[in-house]
Amino acid sequence: MKSVVDMQVTLQVSTDWLFQLIWILAFIFIWVYGQRIQTILTLKEIEGSLSRLKNMRDRGRQIVISAIKEIGKPAEDPTPRVDRLLEHVDIEPVSLDPTGIIRRLEHIIDVRDFRLKEEVRQMAPQADEAQINNLTNVLEAALALNHVYKIVRHYYLMGKKTLSFYVILQIQMLLPLIMRESEAFANALKAFTLGQPIGDGAGALVAARLMHGNKKRLIAQDTILSETQIEGRKAYVIKAKGPGGNVGKPGEAIKQILEEEEGKVALIIMIDAAQKLEGEKTGEVAEGVGAAIGGPGVDKYKVEEVATKYKVPLSAIIIKESIEDVVSTMRKEIVDGVEEAINRIKRIICEGTKEGDTVIIAGIGNTIGIAQ
Amino acid sequence: MDERESRRTPVFFMSIIIFMLIMSLAALLLAIEAYLVQGKLEIINIILSASALFLAAYMFIQIRKRSISLGFETLKVSTVIRCLKCDYKNVREFEKGDYILRDAGPCPKCDGTLIIHSIFRESKEKD
Ligand SMILES: [Zn+2]
Repeated sequence: MKSVVDMQVTLQVSTDWLFQLIWILAFIFIWVYGQRIQTILTLKEIEGSLSRLKNMRDRGRQIVISAIKEIGKPAEDPTPRVDRLLEHVDIEPVSLDPTGIIRRLEHIIDVRDFRLKEEVRQMAPQADEAQINNLTNVLEAALALNHVYKIVRHYYLMGKKTLSFYVILQIQMLLPLIMRESEAFANALKAFTLGQPIGDGAGALVAARLMHGNKKRLIAQDTILSETQIEGRKAYVIKAKGPGGNVGKPGEAIKQILEEEEGKVALIIMIDAAQKLEGEKTGEVAEGVGAAIGGPGVDKYKVEEVATKYKVPLSAIIIKESIEDVVSTMRKEIVDGVEEAINRIKRIICEGTKEGDTVIIAGIGNTIGIAQ
Repeated sequence: MDERESRRTPVFFMSIIIFMLIMSLAALLLAIEAYLVQGKLEIINIILSASALFLAAYMFIQIRKRSISLGFETLKVSTVIRCLKCDYKNVREFEKGDYILRDAGPCPKCDGTLIIHSIFRESKEKD
């Protein structure tokens, strides 16, 4: 009886010792290889996102090709041409000598837009002007997806090669934002092929509502001007030419009107969609001062320059939306925000100008799916 | 990176996890056995093995977790048609070729013209 208890005690002691050793070894293992384990885990996470990005890119390419085939009825297969365009790169102007950089940037952007449109026109001979603009937008979204995929892949492969925690950390930190934006572009493809209005078109929709039923003329490339009366004031309303996917040249248009009117304009109001902060409601409207316009900065520069020259106050109305909503089909809340923005415009005009004054109202944004 | 590589199961990690699972299970069993046979409660042993068990399970879930959504959801898009003269309003599903401010024929209620007033999607997501 005694020997059995003895044996149990010895067994207990020996297993205790064994477990202690295992725990100490495990501790040392984690202590030494902890970062490497984390690195490999992070790489796995990036790999998952990367395969999703690849999927999105392939779907994007497929959508471009099938949309061109369906709408443009090309004589030959557009696939090699699309593949070549998806690798398109833009080279920014040199900023070492910043004099005139905006003009140079504008030139490059103009050339790029013209080239892309020209390529699409040749691939899709049966498409009309609006469809060519829409197809160009589809192509741009697919191009963006391709670039994002390649950059993430670059960091992934670099990280895999070097197993450097800091290389991987760079991409991992940005990955949630990158994925959100890519998913937005993936959804945009659908909206663009169908020609549906997108969240970015909120400003254009405001202008479209104001100019509907009035005489219109082309004032700058792809940009429409209409003269109307709002609360007894003469209002020049500007928007990009719809319903094809276009952003027009609102900066150039505002500049031209101000020169034509020799600066006798009481107020410029710009309406644009803006990225909301987390926690803010989609479709919320806010007011402010300054040139409400995004993009590479060419139009913003022009508006600021000419408004400063003639000392015309700049008023801004922004309609808030998340990054996903900017390029996907317009949400109900944004349509409601548009109506609210129109009321705000009327109020701002009443408060800030006298009867008989002239105001400029510019609806900024991609006017896809919105006529005038 | 090809398709096969991206689907490869992380063998190295799976083996570590399984090893951890077995070890912690064994430790847990030993602790329970010690309690049943000798009436001695080894708190530290139980806590350690239980936490190792949880850690292993957590890592397992982390590796398994692959989001299926690809960002290509089909959205329900509505087109709102309104009369310019009266308050006639009609909501239908979006059709190819629709765009805002397009003429949509004569009004069935009065002699006014119909236009597409708005096109939107209704989103389930909350802000
Ligand atoms: Zn009617």
